[in-house]
Amino acid sequence: MGVLHRQRWCGATGLAVPLLTLASPAFLKIAGVAPSWAVLWLLPWALVDGPASGAIAGLCLGLVLDGLHLGLASEVPVLMLLGWWWGRIGRRGVPIERSYNLGLLAVLGSVLLGASLLLQLYWAGQLPLVEAGLHTLVAQSLITGLLAPVLCSLMLLRWRRIADLRS
Amino acid sequence: MSGRILRVPLLRKVAEAWPWWLLLLALVGVRLSKGAGFMDAYALLSRPFWPGSAQSEWLRSAQHLQDQASLQQLQRDNERLRGMLALDRSGAGRVSAPVISREPGGWWQQLELGKGSVDGLRAGDPVLAPGGLIGRVSSVTPSTARVQLLTDSGSRLGVWVARVQRHGLLVGQGTARPRLQFLENDTGVRPGDVITTSPASTLVPPNLLVGVVQSVNESLAPAPDAAVQLSAPVDAVDWVQVVTR
Repeated sequence: MGVLHRQRWCGATGLAVPLLTLASPAFLKIAGVAPSWAVLWLLPWALVDGPASGAIAGLCLGLVLDGLHLGLASEVPVLMLLGWWWGRIGRRGVPIERSYNLGLLAVLGSVLLGASLLLQLYWAGQLPLVEAGLHTLVAQSLITGLLAPVLCSLMLLRWRRIADLRS
Repeated sequence: MSGRILRVPLLRKVAEAWPWWLLLLALVGVRLSKGAGFMDAYALLSRPFWPGSAQSEWLRSAQHLQDQASLQQLQRDNERLRGMLALDRSGAGRVSAPVISREPGGWWQQLELGKGSVDGLRAGDPVLAPGGLIGRVSSVTPSTARVQLLTDSGSRLGVWVARVQRHGLLVGQGTARPRLQFLENDTGVRPGDVITTSPASTLVPPNLLVGVVQSVNESLAPAPDAAVQLSAPVDAVDWVQVVTR
């Protein structure tokens, strides 16, 4: 684990995820679909703080977000997986600060998250029209990938500086 | 010759009164034409004194009041008759609640309301917006309530097509337009038909406007279905009314 999780204010920024999910600003939507704020926050966090911290952050975010939605479909497994995966990339690979890389990782994460929800809703019989789910998946991945280079790179640089100072 | 005739005193007087003869002729014309021209002239002259827009508003307002009064009377009658048929829900009231979060698109179609169990809201309560029914309360906290919109893919609601006297099941699709599924063939439903809640419903208020049929898929087996446009604007509603039990 890194040192970022020991900084209370850094962890507290995670509260912005459920708040933004609830506020759901209309100007940050594509075809009525909001970005995946959990992916946008978890990506820089896991890249800086490592796989264990990323997985735990994914678990915490998933539990909160599951409580904000209808039905029993869960975001926890994929968010934990993404946190762990991105943490490993941050530990092993070269520093990822290019917009292209961040955007691509965010799109992949959003697609995985959307696909897991799509399958869960489909198996539960709560998705009579699969095309509607695919539309949501594509729109959410697109807007998440577009916002990631802006938001994630800022958070990544800030948190990496804090982590370097503390360590 | 003519000069000789005018020398007769009686005829001379008749000839001299020619303006009066003309007036009489005009009056006969008015009589025969049922006042044409006369009424037009009157309308032209009296136009500045016609009732203005304010009086027209008063009339409309009076008409509105009369409609409201008759609507209330009908509602009272309806409640009394439903009570006699044991179809009413005792103690039903309406609570106005602000919409504090909305998610009409995405994986779930839901609203969050700024009132909860403290204000008497419970899971299953119907939620109304200007225009008609939009959903039902899914869960409550002491100060908030989550509403599952009719467009949500998990939403199912029995509805009524009044024109053809048919029941149907309104199923959310995860899109802006839920589908109306029928149980039998030859429903006779066509685009433009109005969808309401069932007149015999006890779960939601009866005869509430839900939406309008947009298109009908007759070729579907075993029974046709229809796309429905909801009458309440879910994207724009800021306040809703929750029917509490």
